[in-house]
Amino acid sequence: MKKRYWRCFVCNDVHYGIAPPELCPTCKVLHAYVEITAEEARKILGGGPETTMATEDFRASIERFTVGNEFQVNPAADKVSLLLTGIFENEKNHGFKFCPCRLRTKDWEEDLKLICPCNFPIHETYKGVKDGECWCGLFVRRK
Amino acid sequence: MAHLVMFYGRECPHCKKMLPLIDTLEKETPVRFERLEVWHDEKNADLMRSYREAIAPKCGHQLRVPTFLNADTRDAMCGEVEFDKLKDWALQQG
Ligand code: SF4
Repeated sequence: MKKRYWRCFVCNDVHYGIAPPELCPTCKVLHAYVEITAEEARKILGGGPETTMATEDFRASIERFTVGNEFQVNPAADKVSLLLTGIFENEKNHGFKFCPCRLRTKDWEEDLKLICPCNFPIHETYKGVKDGECWCGLFVRRK
Repeated sequence: MAHLVMFYGRECPHCKKMLPLIDTLEKETPVRFERLEVWHDEKNADLMRSYREAIAPKCGHQLRVPTFLNADTRDAMCGEVEFDKLKDWALQQG
């Protein structure tokens, strides 16, 4: 099923997905989403405040992301710092925070799966593995 | 001697681990690898993509680095492996 764009008619949150959210996560109004075009979605998002994310902000963001999850950022600091360098190099050179340990195929849908963090819990290096890691080792199963 | 290639990423920790093992292997045996970096060199990246059908089935259906490839037979192996496994694979390639 193809993903489409949706806008909350109360607070203008934008959602990209196969169906609109039932409850708006921002304004908590029920059944508030109406379908819009990609162009409208881009305009709404593009008009928002400019945000930038330095490496340390991204590191903090993935730390927050792991809270409540069964995985954590790898305690091996040198590994993490090499990976973060790669992730930011890839964003600068190729437009997205692509995984430094895989390569873009140039197929849009496929390559979206390579944006870090990726859905690594389904990968064979993690799923069902006691000391599972994401393919690169940025995330490891919590001990 | 088979034409062996190692596709690697400059900021990939598994590749960083494997590169010195390749150096050691080349010192110990007549095996030679062409080392091709794929995130900072589009020509190398395109070359790796051209082997997608040979690499992907052996690498989680993706293009992952490090990938070791026999460019003649299109046999491939990927990931961080023990030295002996790397050596066995490389020597088998003939
Ligand atoms: S394998 Fe790890 S480093 Fe690579 S994209 Fe997935 S989470 Fe990020």
